[in-house]
Amino acid sequence: MTLFLQATVEGLSLAAIYSLVALGFVLIYKSMDVLSFAQPALAVVGAGLISSLAVDRGIPFWISLIIGITLTGVIGLIVERTFLRPMVGEPVFSVAILTIGIDILLRTTLDNWIGLNPRYMGDPFPTFGNFGSTQIGGVTIKFLEIAGLSTAILIIISLNIFFRVSKYGVAMRATSFDQEAALAQGINVGRIFGLVWFIAGILAAFAGFFITGGFNTLSQTSFVVALRALPAVVIGGLDSIPGAVVGSIIIGLTQAYVAYYQYEFEILTGITLGNGFSLVAPYIIMFLILVFKPDGLFGTKEVERV
Amino acid sequence: MKSRPNLYTNYAKETAIFSNNTQKFWFFVLLLLSISLCFVATDYWILLISRSLAFSIGAWGINIVSGLAGQITLAHGSFIGIGVYTAAVLGGVASNSVWGLELDMLIWLPVAGIVAALFSFILSPIAVRLKGLNLALVTLAFLFICSHIFSNFISVTGGAGIGRKSAKLTLLGVNLEEGLLVGNYFLQKNQILYFICLFSCITMGFGFKNLVRSRAGRAYAGIRDGDIAAEALGVNLFRYKASAFALASFYAGVGGSLASTISGGIEPGFFNLLFSILAVAIIVIGGAGTVLGPLFGAFFYVMMPGFIQYILKITHLTESALPLNLGQIEAMLFGLCIILFLIFEPRGLWGIWFRLRNYFKAWPFSY
Repeated sequence: MTLFLQATVEGLSLAAIYSLVALGFVLIYKSMDVLSFAQPALAVVGAGLISSLAVDRGIPFWISLIIGITLTGVIGLIVERTFLRPMVGEPVFSVAILTIGIDILLRTTLDNWIGLNPRYMGDPFPTFGNFGSTQIGGVTIKFLEIAGLSTAILIIISLNIFFRVSKYGVAMRATSFDQEAALAQGINVGRIFGLVWFIAGILAAFAGFFITGGFNTLSQTSFVVALRALPAVVIGGLDSIPGAVVGSIIIGLTQAYVAYYQYEFEILTGITLGNGFSLVAPYIIMFLILVFKPDGLFGTKEVERV
Repeated sequence: MKSRPNLYTNYAKETAIFSNNTQKFWFFVLLLLSISLCFVATDYWILLISRSLAFSIGAWGINIVSGLAGQITLAHGSFIGIGVYTAAVLGGVASNSVWGLELDMLIWLPVAGIVAALFSFILSPIAVRLKGLNLALVTLAFLFICSHIFSNFISVTGGAGIGRKSAKLTLLGVNLEEGLLVGNYFLQKNQILYFICLFSCITMGFGFKNLVRSRAGRAYAGIRDGDIAAEALGVNLFRYKASAFALASFYAGVGGSLASTISGGIEPGFFNLLFSILAVAIIVIGGAGTVLGPLFGAFFYVMMPGFIQYILKITHLTESALPLNLGQIEAMLFGLCIILFLIFEPRGLWGIWFRLRNYFKAWPFSY
């Protein structure tokens, strides 16, 4: 039972990270019809900024966290302005490939900075409790995980309020519903696109921090964790915010349960699944769900006309 | 009639492989040049060109699925991997940890393609149901599953981080690993590989050109431009989507196994997401849907490191004086090229070539 609880806790904390990245994916897809493969790169770039400010420059951690996250949002804004604005109206896949190009640019710059040794974030989480973790009823919980979970919940709630109440939130919803009608109503659609990328950048940077914080460290392969939010988005449906959250929970829990129970399963059945199967399991689920429900669990069904 | 090469009096003539004598002439000039190049150029450039030729075969493959049939795939790298490992098992040398049958090249080269094509049928029932972004995502999932299998199927791939040797070069029972004495001239292994690559590249290129002008090619174009409309016109979606994937995988298998023989050894980690993106990027840079585009794209990609090093040499810069290392410069340039081509020249290098050619055709008049 302890094993199960431990797996659940870790799965949920992974889900929190995935849902932050996934929300960025969904926001961009909903407003611009663009699947941004640059999201994982933004996440690690955010982590890199925080690390360079806090560790290399010696700025207090909480200030550099805020600056780093804001800067990542600004990078998102710049990317939208320079690279994606000329592509409005182009085929969906051309734009997706373009974001892969952006991903390569951002990540190469970052890899050059990271070098061979992994980078620390300089955050105080490892110093809390017993090496950054505590025991509750036999289950080891890291403070970083608690922080990640509560931040994710807080962000999801505040985004919801933002979309319902604020002027820009309503304008965003209008834009995602019908761009031309929104333009006709006097909404500055270009500004909305910029804002969406800004928010997506901020979300990615938060996720980037929780991926690399504490003893996890930032290395050249950290982005793979953020990339695993992609199956989460696809399972939930590319254009559904609740779907992104549910998908993230499914993916996070699957990954954790597979990681904890793979060994027992292999002994029980005699089938070897191989090293790191827990990292592939999300993609297998995505594969299966796409086969049976092409638009995801919560996505709107696409109406086709010739 | 003879003095008006651009006047086509029937359809067969317009769709001919060489629609006029100028093209025929330049093709044979290029062929002679590339054969004689083999005896002039240094080993380094011969290897680079052979690699580009092998890569362009793979690029034609993804051009069938993505350029002609308009179905975006991110799993092309996995099919290349399947081809590579089939070739390695059939043609490679067995060791304690890996299988190897040491068969003839005449067997492993086509079989690598066929096995890759057979594996592509796993995707075909899904490819029929999905399209666009969703299909791309399914192929992405397929890619991750494949690379997991590659890193764990040790008796075939040698395992992650270790890898294995690729297929041996035995053609018609003659071992070509140490070179071959033809009359008085000693042909080195690189030169033999170059000829094999050149021959396969020309064959596969003509195959692609023929596919474009066949019934299947027209069906692919129909699916790309509007799959529902094509279906309404009687194009069997299942058959043509599945065959597009199968043909693409065949090209992938052949091109991949050639390229792996050139490099000598293969590590499973090579067939990751970046490698599949590379395949897409090559046809985006070269020009998707065109016959020459993948060739341009492959040459551009493979030659780039060579040219970067050449530029460094003539400017007397050392690698340590640069802010980025060579691999990173390459990656940056590649990323930039993808972005700039998509924004400014969506037809890729082929588009530039097309405009250049037309400019000189009409020279000295601008229209």
